[in-house]
Amino acid sequence: MASSLNKIIVIVGFISLFHSAFSAAQHRSYLRITSQEFTTLPLDIVIQAVVSLFAVMWGVLNVAGNLREIPAAAELNTIRWETQRNLPSFYMFNHRGRALAYDYVPSSSKAELENLE
Amino acid sequence: MVELLLDPNIRLWVFLPIVIITFLVGIVRHYVSIILSSQKKIELIQVQDSQVMIRARLLRENGKYLPRQSFAMRRHWFNNEETGYFKVQKRAATSQNPMTDPGMMTDMLKGNVTNVLPMIVIGGWINWMFSGFLTTKVPFPLTLRFKPMLQRGVELTHLDASWVSSASWYFLNVFGLRTIYALVLGENNAADQSKIMQEQMSGAAMAMPPDPKAAFKAEWEALEITEHKWALANVEADLLTTEK
Amino acid sequence: MSVTKGKDNKPEPIAYSEAALRNNAVVVEYCRTSMAALSGSTAGVLGLTGLYGFAFYVFAVVSLWVMFMLKTGPNWHKYYISRQSLLTNGFFGALFTYVLFWTFIYGMVHVY
Repeated sequence: MASSLNKIIVIVGFISLFHSAFSAAQHRSYLRITSQEFTTLPLDIVIQAVVSLFAVMWGVLNVAGNLREIPAAAELNTIRWETQRNLPSFYMFNHRGRALAYDYVPSSSKAELENLE
Repeated sequence: MVELLLDPNIRLWVFLPIVIITFLVGIVRHYVSIILSSQKKIELIQVQDSQVMIRARLLRENGKYLPRQSFAMRRHWFNNEETGYFKVQKRAATSQNPMTDPGMMTDMLKGNVTNVLPMIVIGGWINWMFSGFLTTKVPFPLTLRFKPMLQRGVELTHLDASWVSSASWYFLNVFGLRTIYALVLGENNAADQSKIMQEQMSGAAMAMPPDPKAAFKAEWEALEITEHKWALANVEADLLTTEK
Repeated sequence: MSVTKGKDNKPEPIAYSEAALRNNAVVVEYCRTSMAALSGSTAGVLGLTGLYGFAFYVFAVVSLWVMFMLKTGPNWHKYYISRQSLLTNGFFGALFTYVLFWTFIYGMVHVY
């Protein structure tokens, strides 16, 4: 819910930024047609641009993803006791359990076993 | 300096197309490089070697937590003169030369094809298609030394240095949009999360010793001189003194 | 490099989770690139020239930093090793993106 709100903020901010850019371009061409000198943009365009910039930045900050806590202990705290014994270094794949596989062909001789490696 | 007035059609038909073309070419190049990239094949025997090395190192470093007999048993398996793993296994000393390996050669060629070739082709095309336009003006003053960099294709001596020609605008885009690719395509190395995970799982095993024979010999020596000193000899006494 | 810097400040070494550090760096980099592109576009819309534009970049960097601080609240040290490096890292890398977008939107809006 919150992330979709942030996405809406980003999209609306983009549209608003684009609109202010368009307004500024229109203002420039209007000044050029009426042959006035360009000094500054109208205040409403400036405010719209800056506000939409901040809105999009805030939205992107929240859309980008959550920061994770960096102390290693924070991750260890989340380990439950069921998963505590899950140690990848001690995995063993070459054991007699393969005899249960449906396509297991028992090797006939000991020499062949040694060649298996 | 008199303010130049550019035709708005240049904006629509030169300035914007260059940005869009550069961006889309970058995206296409990214996906083409994904298609062309080949999965690195690793030899089963090399993985086996590196895992054995890891196990030997672990035994060397953490063997003090094993009882003496267990440690000796494991060391025997590695180091015994007749049947020890390091003694029995004979590995040919392989030398990896990237020039002789055809797979390495094609990888390098693919990298060149996806990186350099589009740059030349698209750059040449942009130069030919949109040549001779002034496209934009950088909003800050620059010194005259930037003129050849920013005004390639437009040789006007009296032009202010902050005007940018179309060819130079293309090159500015090529170099400036890299970070945007990283933003749009995730990380720019085309790797998704699963690939990183896989890397982590087999990361240690990927770092293969270049010469397994010498590595085995070194590991054998190191294991041979390891002295077993049981760290848990008086663990009961320690436990009783710390835990009141 | 920032790891060692963080460790030097603290009296005792703290173990940091490598994966979380990398994740945070990716998030920060993402925000920084977006910030550079967006603030460059805004500077172009506003028609800033010369030093005002670069001042606006500094302003955008600082406000992004303030936003990070607002997001994490008082316990920022759970997420970053140091606040200064969050402010200064990648300052010039993002500047290039900023200048590109600034030039682009300035050209689109104000030159023609």
